Amino acid sequence: MTESTSVRRTCVVAWRDFRHTVLTKGFIIGALVLPAIMFLVIPLIPMLTQSTPKPLVGRVVVIDERGGMATAFDLALHSKESAAKRNQRDFLGGPLEVQVTVERMSDHAQEAALRSQVADGELVALVIAQHDDDGERAEVLVPSASSPRHTRHVESAAREAVIRSRTLDAGEDYDRLRSIMRNDRVEVSRISPRGEQAPESAVMRMLVPGGFMMLLWITIFTSANNLLTSTIEEKSSRVIEVLLSAVNPLELLVGKLLGQAGVSLVMLAMYGGVGIAALGAMAMLDVVPISHILWFAVWFPIGYFMVAAIMVSVGSAVTELREAQSLIAPVMIALMVPLMLWLPIIENPNGPLATAFSFIPPASPFVNVLRLTAATEPVPLWESLLAVVVAIVSVMVLLWAGARIFRVGVLMQGKTPTPRELLRWVWMR
Amino acid sequence: MGRYPLRSFRMNQTPAIALHDVSKRFGATHAVRGISFTVERGGICGFLGPNGAGKSTSIRMIMSIILPDEGRIEVLGGNALDAKDRIGYLPEERGLYRTMRVAEFLRFMAALKGLDRATADRRIGEWLERLELPSVSRKRCMELSKGMQQKVQLIASVVHEPQLLILDEPFSGLDPVNTRVLTREILGLRERGATILFSTHQMRTAEDLCDRVLLIHRGEKLLDETLPSIHRRFDPRTVLAEPAGDQATAQGAIAALAGVSECVWSDEARALIIRIDDHGDPQHAMQQMLAATPLRRIELRRVTLDDVFVRLVGGDASVLEAQEANGD
Repeated sequence: MTESTSVRRTCVVAWRDFRHTVLTKGFIIGALVLPAIMFLVIPLIPMLTQSTPKPLVGRVVVIDERGGMATAFDLALHSKESAAKRNQRDFLGGPLEVQVTVERMSDHAQEAALRSQVADGELVALVIAQHDDDGERAEVLVPSASSPRHTRHVESAAREAVIRSRTLDAGEDYDRLRSIMRNDRVEVSRISPRGEQAPESAVMRMLVPGGFMMLLWITIFTSANNLLTSTIEEKSSRVIEVLLSAVNPLELLVGKLLGQAGVSLVMLAMYGGVGIAALGAMAMLDVVPISHILWFAVWFPIGYFMVAAIMVSVGSAVTELREAQSLIAPVMIALMVPLMLWLPIIENPNGPLATAFSFIPPASPFVNVLRLTAATEPVPLWESLLAVVVAIVSVMVLLWAGARIFRVGVLMQGKTPTPRELLRWVWMR
Repeated sequence: MGRYPLRSFRMNQTPAIALHDVSKRFGATHAVRGISFTVERGGICGFLGPNGAGKSTSIRMIMSIILPDEGRIEVLGGNALDAKDRIGYLPEERGLYRTMRVAEFLRFMAALKGLDRATADRRIGEWLERLELPSVSRKRCMELSKGMQQKVQLIASVVHEPQLLILDEPFSGLDPVNTRVLTREILGLRERGATILFSTHQMRTAEDLCDRVLLIHRGEKLLDETLPSIHRRFDPRTVLAEPAGDQATAQGAIAALAGVSECVWSDEARALIIRIDDHGDPQHAMQQMLAATPLRRIELRRVTLDDVFVRLVGGDASVLEAQEANGD
């Protein structure tokens, strides 16, 4: 048999496996259509958020027996800080235009009538100021049809008015105190041992490694699971012997691995593309440096072949998915480690936990991606390279053992083999 | 056989299949014990044996699907792994991709065997037509009846026009009409020069199709001969005689002759079934019978593979039970 014959057979098997996974309704809807919709929608979000919200127009009545709250509310509603806040674009829309007049009532005589006006939408809001031993406080009533943005703006102004009123009662200058208490005077940055300084973002520090790890996990696990189920199906439908009359077990195994690797790449392109589009839309592409993508590119094939080799050998050894559960359980526990220990690992990427799991397959690809993309502290290069070498050796051993189990397992029917029997198959002639 | 004309010419001197002292064990079970045989090119060789005799194991070893523990196997002058594109194989445990469409499945199998798309499509169309399945190409495999699936599987094994075709129990589960269609196609493939090895435990089918018979039992070869040679070797010792006069008188006269070990009336054959003992000469016994009583008809019953099978394997209760359970 020439090498080209073997390559041809392997490619035919790979193409069938790829085609019959990617061109199924389940895959198209689950793995392609949903991300594709997200891919199309995410760039639209900034356009949608540019829409101008309905202006806040009308009257606000403040029942204020002591005096001062109405003025404080008016000031708060039209202050610079308030203007800055309402001009901010957020997920609820663009800048908010406010044309509100504030009227003061010195007693509660008309409270019932005013409440009715609020209920009818004639008033933007009714603010009832009350004074007790703890100082000023307020109750804000808005129409049930009030938009969240309008409600938030009125509520925010009322809070500020209460604080302003309490400050005045204490004989202090509110604007001076506010200026003193401004919290935008503190900036947190991270400085690396090499002296590089970067702004701290706790959320991004958590999300970026988590995102990379989940992307790796989902794309690898989905394809590996496809391998498991398709191998079981080929065995249980007895088509395996027909295939083995045309290809040898190694060609079949490699073809299946490559076919599902293609599936995995399609998913990676889709999900990764959506992620990058989302970051681009939020002008946050800088949170994913090129080094992260390069390390991901190193660990993706290692992780895929590591998990796929295990899944395909288990699939070859059983005839029903139910039987696979017991054999796969230890592997699944190892695969769950990065999901369960995600936060401790990125909190301390050079700690003993993270370092140990960096060398233990099949968790190592996921743990290494977490460590390498965590911004907390850099992982020593020698350690990362050693982890890659250990993982590549593990992949080779797993593929070799997987091929031997596959060769024996695909023709076995009957009871599920024990792990010990699987080991015996590895050495069987 | 147009695909490998030069190679065929050069390799025609080598047998299609050669097994040398091949053994295979599965744990404590000795599935095949030191079997040796050769199958020359051309013709149909029946691979017979009761259930569990080691037929499928031997075939899997010939196909290099499993490896022998001991011994050597040559297929088309080399290793079966190197000759997979020139071998067609219909396994006993047949299967199809349930959700694949028929034409797509056959195209996939043809591509594995090295056929280009155009040739594969042409041959698939021809074979579907020939096996009376013209309208199934767009159907999913799971939508076909069992007989139709079996025909599709046969096409998958012959679409690349193999030099060697190995059929493991090809007739199991087929109705008489489909059995006839399949028989016709197997004979057609032989006419086109293919070597066919097919296993069965249906002796009548083997007798109708085979030029040669290999019989194995408990992993050992019991018989390896051409049909005429079998007929000669398993010399018939049963005579059918139809009395011209009274049946009881004729039966008594024949039973009294020397060399006759048994003489019974058969309503089915409408004749006396007379068994000649192992030392007797059937020709001489027949002359004695004609002299002893008037007979309308007397003939030597031709030995069948069934008789040979029972004689070689017979006495093994488990085998006979298995045969009965399979309705054979």
